[in-house]
Amino acid sequence: MALRLTGNPAEADDLVQETMLKAYRAWHQFERGTNAKGWLLTILRHAFINEYRRRTRHPETVDIDAIEPFSVFEEVQDDDPQGTFFDRIVDDEVLRAIDQLPEQFRETVVLSDVEGMSYEEIARVLDVPVGTVKSRLFRARRLLQRKLYEYAVGMGYIKGNAT
Amino acid sequence: MNCRECKEHLYEYLDRELTPAVAEEIRQHIAECPPCGESFDFEKVFLTFVRARCRAHGASPELRRRILDELLDE
Repeated sequence: MALRLTGNPAEADDLVQETMLKAYRAWHQFERGTNAKGWLLTILRHAFINEYRRRTRHPETVDIDAIEPFSVFEEVQDDDPQGTFFDRIVDDEVLRAIDQLPEQFRETVVLSDVEGMSYEEIARVLDVPVGTVKSRLFRARRLLQRKLYEYAVGMGYIKGNAT
Repeated sequence: MNCRECKEHLYEYLDRELTPAVAEEIRQHIAECPPCGESFDFEKVFLTFVRARCRAHGASPELRRRILDELLDE
């Protein structure tokens, strides 16, 4: 999560270190029996927003609601309905595509698909309603899928539809 | 459940976030509707692929030591 937020291994390490320190100092606020991972990721995200983002990346001004969900399946259903072209895309390319997502999409995808959290846990970390998590995740995954599909077409892993 | 409703719940179904009753309606629909069934299978492949490629890399031993040193200084 830290690496995907900062986009830089050294800063990700600093962010994790700061998070652990903050968590240690705030340990009395942790409610036993609740989700420790969610608590830590909430602290991590706040630390990132308060300090790192101001210094490094600028908050995007992308209107994420204007991004149309695009169905890759409709593009490939005749040539590769089972999505075998995905197998040829390597780790680094997937991580690079995630890093290129608008921030609100990136953090939602990372919490879900990298950290394995439930919608409710994600809603708590991001402090948004569960409905927002659902719609962001839908759009974020479709956008990620489109980026990877375009990459696969560019690499010749799959034939693109000439438009 | 029609195709449009089914597609709206696509990821919630694959993420196991639906109530058992709604999940069952979807299971029935995709069993009877080949186009929806294929698109669900495709999305499932996509999610499995993304998760496999992003397996979180844990903290390095060097970072673990830095954190521990700092906590011990508190």
